[in-house]
Amino acid sequence: MPSPAPHTYLKTRAALLAKQLFSPERLQQLLESSLDTLYQEFGMESLAVLPGAESAINRAVERALMHTLMQELGVLLRPLAGEGRDILMHWARKFELYNLKALIRGKLQGHSFADVEQNLFDLPALISLPHDQLLRTENVLELLRQLEQGHYADIARQARQVYEEKNESFSLDAAIDRSYYLGLLRRIRRIGEADRSALHSLVGTLIDQQNLGWLLRYRFNYGLAPSETYYLLVPFGHHLHRDRLLDLVNLETFPQVIEALPGRLSEPLAGVGDLLDLEWRLERITAAQAHHDVRFSASAVTRSLAYLVLREMDLKHLYAILQGKVLGFTEQTIRSALGGTPVKAELRDNGAVDV
Amino acid sequence: MFSPQPMKHVLLQVMTEDLPQVSLILAELQVFGPDYRPFHDSQYRSIPGQRFRELYHRAVSRLQKISGHVRIGSQVALNELHVVREDELEETDRWLGETWDRCSTFEENLRHQSEEQQLLDQLEQALGNFGELNIDLGLLQGERMFLDIRLGMIPRTHVGQLKEAIALANYLLFPYLEHDEMVHVIVVGPKGERERELGSVLDTAGFRPLTIPVELQGEPSRVRIELQKRRLALKQASNREREIARQFASEIRERLEECQRTLVMAEPFVRLDTAVRTGGYTSVISGWIPARDVRRTERALVAGLSNPLHIEVRNPLPEERPLVPSYMPDNRLMAPFATLVKQYGIPRYGEVDPTAIFAVTFILMFGMMFGDVGHGLTIALAAWLARRKLKSFTLFTICIGFSAALFGIFYGSLFGYEGLFHALWLPPLSDPLYMLSVALMWGIGFLLLISFVSIYNRFIQGDLTRAIFASNGVVSTLLYASLLYGIYNLYREGSFGVPAASVSILALAVVLAYKLTETQASAGERMLVAVVETFETITGYISNTLSFLRVAAFSLNHVALAIAVFTLADMMNSTQGQVLMVILGNLFILILEGAIVTIQALRLEYYEGFSRFYSGDGREFKPLRLNLGGTP
Repeated sequence: MPSPAPHTYLKTRAALLAKQLFSPERLQQLLESSLDTLYQEFGMESLAVLPGAESAINRAVERALMHTLMQELGVLLRPLAGEGRDILMHWARKFELYNLKALIRGKLQGHSFADVEQNLFDLPALISLPHDQLLRTENVLELLRQLEQGHYADIARQARQVYEEKNESFSLDAAIDRSYYLGLLRRIRRIGEADRSALHSLVGTLIDQQNLGWLLRYRFNYGLAPSETYYLLVPFGHHLHRDRLLDLVNLETFPQVIEALPGRLSEPLAGVGDLLDLEWRLERITAAQAHHDVRFSASAVTRSLAYLVLREMDLKHLYAILQGKVLGFTEQTIRSALGGTPVKAELRDNGAVDV
Repeated sequence: MFSPQPMKHVLLQVMTEDLPQVSLILAELQVFGPDYRPFHDSQYRSIPGQRFRELYHRAVSRLQKISGHVRIGSQVALNELHVVREDELEETDRWLGETWDRCSTFEENLRHQSEEQQLLDQLEQALGNFGELNIDLGLLQGERMFLDIRLGMIPRTHVGQLKEAIALANYLLFPYLEHDEMVHVIVVGPKGERERELGSVLDTAGFRPLTIPVELQGEPSRVRIELQKRRLALKQASNREREIARQFASEIRERLEECQRTLVMAEPFVRLDTAVRTGGYTSVISGWIPARDVRRTERALVAGLSNPLHIEVRNPLPEERPLVPSYMPDNRLMAPFATLVKQYGIPRYGEVDPTAIFAVTFILMFGMMFGDVGHGLTIALAAWLARRKLKSFTLFTICIGFSAALFGIFYGSLFGYEGLFHALWLPPLSDPLYMLSVALMWGIGFLLLISFVSIYNRFIQGDLTRAIFASNGVVSTLLYASLLYGIYNLYREGSFGVPAASVSILALAVVLAYKLTETQASAGERMLVAVVETFETITGYISNTLSFLRVAAFSLNHVALAIAVFTLADMMNSTQGQVLMVILGNLFILILEGAIVTIQALRLEYYEGFSRFYSGDGREFKPLRLNLGGTP
């Protein structure tokens, strides 16, 4: 049983923070605002006078948004201890893993120190890899030897196999993602009962979103066999469990997979035409679950995690808008990059989602 | 003593070709801290030495990696100083690159050999395990007409999902041996078109095939001999590799130390970084120098450069104060205390340097909590004997030892025995309430001193509003003092007293009003935050004051522990047992209680002291210097 005082405090903090989440109207308003207004509104006035290329501005924007997210994570972590804290920190490790993927991919493709460094997130020391040490390795084998000695030894083994035998980096990406989600699930299994089931359904929704995207991509874009596709998935989703995934990977076409999804997924995904459309809809389904959890979940850790999931989505949207405006794209183009006119997905009482 | 050294901002205008020489002279003097802020003179736009810096960083990284294989001196001896030019650095980097390539190859070879070693271990274990399998081992190897059979190892965590995945391709997986993180498995399925699919899944799962020795089905003893031969060959190869690496190390050591010296001399120019701007033939370097060293620096530069130079010196501007580095004293007496202060943070320029306050109060508090002549002198003696290990902390430990001994004289205590000599003050346990009141008075004095320092620091920073109204400002200190006076009245005369109550209420109202104006939020939240923070100000003062009771509590605890030791000693039947008990008990007190008292005294300093007046977000003055302490 979580002690009530910090958890009440955490729920209050999450509720206060949730007030700044973007509604569809707010997102629309951001789309229509000028770049200067956006800079001013989000405290990035210094970027308005930043000399240099568009890529440098985009990078500065990305850093500022990441800084915001990490600060809010810090606020939510403060009253937490034990597994709850560990879960939120593990969630944030996804950014460290993005960096790890960029590092390995950069080295595999022989990119320079500066090129790889430009593609890394600036992260707080709490979740950051020793980038400098890894970046200064002079070839792939040296990088792998460094990784083999640390926390990511299993990933390094996989990377070595990719490098020495297959040279297909997507299986490495999948291995990294699998290890991330399995780590998250392991932590959820260790947390108290009061939080466990709520966290499981939120994280399960995130896993469903990943699994379905991967399944369709591996099967129909990369042409992988059912067995290999299944091996690359995480069979612990909310709606897509092991048996369902075993059935789905055996299907032969994209529409067959969509039709065979359980009702709560097939309904909002009905008529989906391509992977991009699917990803937007899946994101809305996840957003609906997270919005529901932020408002109603009895577990303070789940509310906090749901808030972080939504905030990350919002900041990604904001980044897309700012990036689009820096590059001089039209409002219409930016809107299409966001998946069309902003709409709010709602989770119905029976667990189904309207998107 | 209480304020950092006054600093001057300097702008050196020199010929661009002299920059490396200037950096070397400044590094020798050790008085110049570069100022890395952007420089707003359009004449000096570019930052020179980009390529030089890249070369330097890569070379240093290579040297550090190589020094993991080749031991080089921890101290660099520079017989003669010379300016390192870009071509010299380029040659150094190139040579280090080649050397690292060799070392990297050694590493990779050793890694392969270690992997081979593991494989042999696994095979040997598998051999024992196959002996227990009641099957014809001939079936597990070679080509079969209808069956595809594979033996190998996979990471333990992958077994479950791989089993399910290959079932989709009509294959079965049987684990038969678990070894650390790896599991030995047999994979069986029909031969045919799905073999390639299986291969792909197994690769992705990190499957490492195991070759069964052909002789396995015949005589296991012969296989063991075969494995022993392979192991021996591997060991010989590994020894050869190590010997080659050793020879290589001795061949390159001298050149490596030369590279180390080159990099030490190149570092000052690299460290100047954005503090240098160039405008063609002339360049400017901006930085900070302690006021007392400006003339000396100017003379050294004039003497060391063949070309003329121009120096502009000025005082720090008011708006620059947060950026001015604080010069922390590096005298031997204060060094260990300064180290402990730095654990908390660096004082801002102009702020009171808390090192002296910390040193005096820490020594006194430790002595008061741990007062015993014998224990104190033992600590001092142990510190002296272990001076090589304690290094700069020797003096610190001797100081706290003498302080404990001094308070031991006051308390009349020697290794816990009281009454062996007359206490100069009183034994703590003879009047615990008196000891607690002394600790309370000490706490009040400490907190008032800290509040005055806090007010002073804010005045110095030009932050008048916070100096007067914020927590630990004039008003809240007044509130604290009036509350203390009121409580004293209550204790002596039974009533709080009108003057104390009036001042308390007035100060409380002012603090609340300030919190209300300071908080940025909606009306409701603002009210809530202001009330909670005002309440916290009062409770903070009360709890912090009571926190100092531990100073007396530990002095009592010290005596109580000694009594416990003597009681245990009395329970011993023999004299030897009693002596042994007293010695062990005193050791226990010295080590365990000594550590606890140190932590408690540090806690009082950091939490009740520093957190009130010391922002600790200043910048330490780090002058350019030649890094002679080993690998850059």
